Amino acid sequence: MKREEIRQRLKEVQSLPTLPPIVSKLNQMVSDEDVTAVKLGRIIEKDQVLTSKLLKMVNSSFFGFPQRISTVSNAIVLLGFNVIKTLIVTSSIFEVMQASDIGLFEHSLGCATAAGLVAKKLGIKNPEEVSTAGLIHDLGKIVLRAEMPQEYELVVETAAKRQQYMREVEQEALGIGHGEIGGILARQWNLPERLVYPIEYHHRPEASPDYADVSAIIHFSDIVIRALGFGFGGDKWVPPLDHQAWSRIKLGKTQMRQLLEELDEKLMELQDFTLDIQQDKKESA
Amino acid sequence: MQRIPLKLAQPGMVLAKEAVTSEGQVLCGAGTTLSQEILARLAKQEVLTLTVEGHPVSMPGEKTLPEKLKELDLRFSKVKDDPVLRALKTLIAEFWIIQEKGEDFLKNLKKGKAG
Ligand SMILES: [Fe+2]
Ligand SMILES: [Fe+2]
Repeated sequence: MKREEIRQRLKEVQSLPTLPPIVSKLNQMVSDEDVTAVKLGRIIEKDQVLTSKLLKMVNSSFFGFPQRISTVSNAIVLLGFNVIKTLIVTSSIFEVMQASDIGLFEHSLGCATAAGLVAKKLGIKNPEEVSTAGLIHDLGKIVLRAEMPQEYELVVETAAKRQQYMREVEQEALGIGHGEIGGILARQWNLPERLVYPIEYHHRPEASPDYADVSAIIHFSDIVIRALGFGFGGDKWVPPLDHQAWSRIKLGKTQMRQLLEELDEKLMELQDFTLDIQQDKKESA
Repeated sequence: MQRIPLKLAQPGMVLAKEAVTSEGQVLCGAGTTLSQEILARLAKQEVLTLTVEGHPVSMPGEKTLPEKLKELDLRFSKVKDDPVLRALKTLIAEFWIIQEKGEDFLKNLKKGKAG
């Protein structure tokens, strides 16, 4: 399949659940200067299912707030509207992922957790947004799987057979990698650039036109979470590290040890969280 | 140190970390020796998991330390020449060894290698 053909098909993605209608309404509201978190929260809270999903996500350990967040407007104040919007836009995609690829789901949650911890260590502003970028960094893989299942299957199988990285096979077989695919979708959904670039450039962070620090963090967090063997990101190998990106992070040994310790704790909590979600699914099925 | 579901906790086990409810409320501190009464109280407060000293429970599907280290090696097999990633791999291996066997074990291991 040709790269252009794929780009074209992404414009009319069929197989993924459509964006909740609430998204366009929220987009309109946000451009209005006087809109408050309380007002936005009230609109979102009209949808109870969405609200409960949202609160579950914001209270999960990868954001790591000590107190429980119990209202949407509170979540908007604490996490910022970009994060809430991204969680709403991608909530149906995460449902698809939980059902079809629990390994990738765990990889994504793990990367989100690591990214948030690294961002905090580096003193980056709004670390929750960086976490969210980690959460959706492999968006392209989910889309590929849902929209072109045969091609996806072929890529995964070939990667395993030839012992290659998945994205090398993507480039060869499809002419486009999951980073670029994810970027296209994220842009189509009007996600902010601070989230779009890290998705698009997480495997070549130094090409990131802006927010190179966030792209570097996602790049490194993907490596750490694969190194630990948490979840499954499509192939089993630790990807190469971009050293220029690393120079933006450069944690020392002590800080790295600390990171591993904090991460270990949170990953154990995450496992409780994913079990919980699966339990909910069974109960509602 | 091992994290276990409350259901598998037994009297006599020692908490390595404080027991916390899902709401974040601390119920008992690290170092507490679990008793039947404490376990009943934790269950009532809906504590789901505990972190205890040592490695008292073998969980289904849980990998042993040598298995974990072998898989770690395999995952890094494509990036062996990168010094930063080599250091990362060593830190992870050391972290797991300390977690399961303690600081001293690792120190002795390193001494053994050096001598
Ligand atoms: Fe990726
Ligand atoms: Fe990834």
